[in-house]
Amino acid sequence: MVQRSAPLLSPSTCLVFSGRRSVKKLAMKVFEVGGTTLCLSLFTDVTNSKELLDLMQSATLEPEVAFLNASLIPDIFPVLAAAHKTLVAKSRDSLTTRTPHSELVYNYSGSKHISESLKRCGIADNTSYILAARFGASADEMVTIEKLIKGNEIDLKELEERKNQAQIQKHYKISNLELEVSSLADAITCRIAARDAL
Amino acid sequence: MEFNSQVKENSSFFIKQGAEARVFESSFVGKRCIVKERFSKKYRHPILDTKLTLKRLNAEARCMTKARRLGVLTPVLYAVDVVSHTLTFEYVEASSVKDVFLDFGSHGIVEERMNDIAFNIGAALGKLHDGGLIHGDLTTSNMLICKDTNSLVLIDFGLSFTSTIPEDKAVDLYVLERALVSMHSSCGNVMDRILAGYRKSSKQWCSTLNKLAQVRQRGRKRTMIG
Repeated sequence: MVQRSAPLLSPSTCLVFSGRRSVKKLAMKVFEVGGTTLCLSLFTDVTNSKELLDLMQSATLEPEVAFLNASLIPDIFPVLAAAHKTLVAKSRDSLTTRTPHSELVYNYSGSKHISESLKRCGIADNTSYILAARFGASADEMVTIEKLIKGNEIDLKELEERKNQAQIQKHYKISNLELEVSSLADAITCRIAARDAL
Repeated sequence: MEFNSQVKENSSFFIKQGAEARVFESSFVGKRCIVKERFSKKYRHPILDTKLTLKRLNAEARCMTKARRLGVLTPVLYAVDVVSHTLTFEYVEASSVKDVFLDFGSHGIVEERMNDIAFNIGAALGKLHDGGLIHGDLTTSNMLICKDTNSLVLIDFGLSFTSTIPEDKAVDLYVLERALVSMHSSCGNVMDRILAGYRKSSKQWCSTLNKLAQVRQRGRKRTMIG
């Protein structure tokens, strides 16, 4: 008989002390993926995406973060699947792009076109709805990241409601026929996983 | 930031072994999953062996996702690993159609449920075949009935391929018919009910079923004389 393994995923909400006594509760979540962690935080009304993009493109972003266009993300699971894929590639030194964080964006896109992926699934000058992701981040690093992004941090649960379904269906070429039997998140996960098999 | 040199594999439990692959249960970023590992065959030349293994691994991944695009439920593909020759997919909480039918055989048939399942099988196959996808190994143990939604989930696309010719579709159905006869003869004529569902959902049912009649006469293999 098969034993059931306990679910590993333990999203823990982080508590960070800011100031002497007040405790600021961040919406950031930590997920365990393939032996390391992935920290995710979601922002709306971001005003400085151009600045972030410039920092990232000049490789001076400290600490290094992946910025994803959150309107293409209906659920965190596909992001975790993309992260897993990234970590497997990293452990074999076979990253397609320069850093694990750009690889995460590239993997999430489910396409083989790197620059197009980074353009569509990453951020542009005017992106205001952003998911920030960092592998193995410390609490301090996450605070720095949150300071870096000028916007409102919201809970990851809002992803579902704020998704841009038309844009997702167009980007991943998901037909209505498929959506009759599958959720958006599942359809995206399949495309992320099967990309290199196509 | 530190990366483990090796991505940690969660403990996995062996479930079954077939001729080409072993199946394990494991977990994938917090979800229960099934891992299908194709192993190398020592009797084949190593170069040919890796080539075949990779080709089949990728073909299976492609066909599974294609089936979903055609509106037929398959387990969600989580990951494809060409280095360890594994596919990782969703753990579907379900019982196989084989078990359901065997249960009918021993405890009496629930006509309504039986019709429902047979019709769904036909409808799913119609969609696959119209989209040019041949399952290649249609047996009742490769069909699952999801416990929560009662929907039909097709598994094991290891022998799948794409084809639009009626011959391949007819052979696909013929394989299922033979499997039904040998496994579930006590359930009455399930095949007719499946074909009724097939006719409803496939636009090209006519040429396929004509071909099926021919295939029945001669068997699965085309005669190779002349």
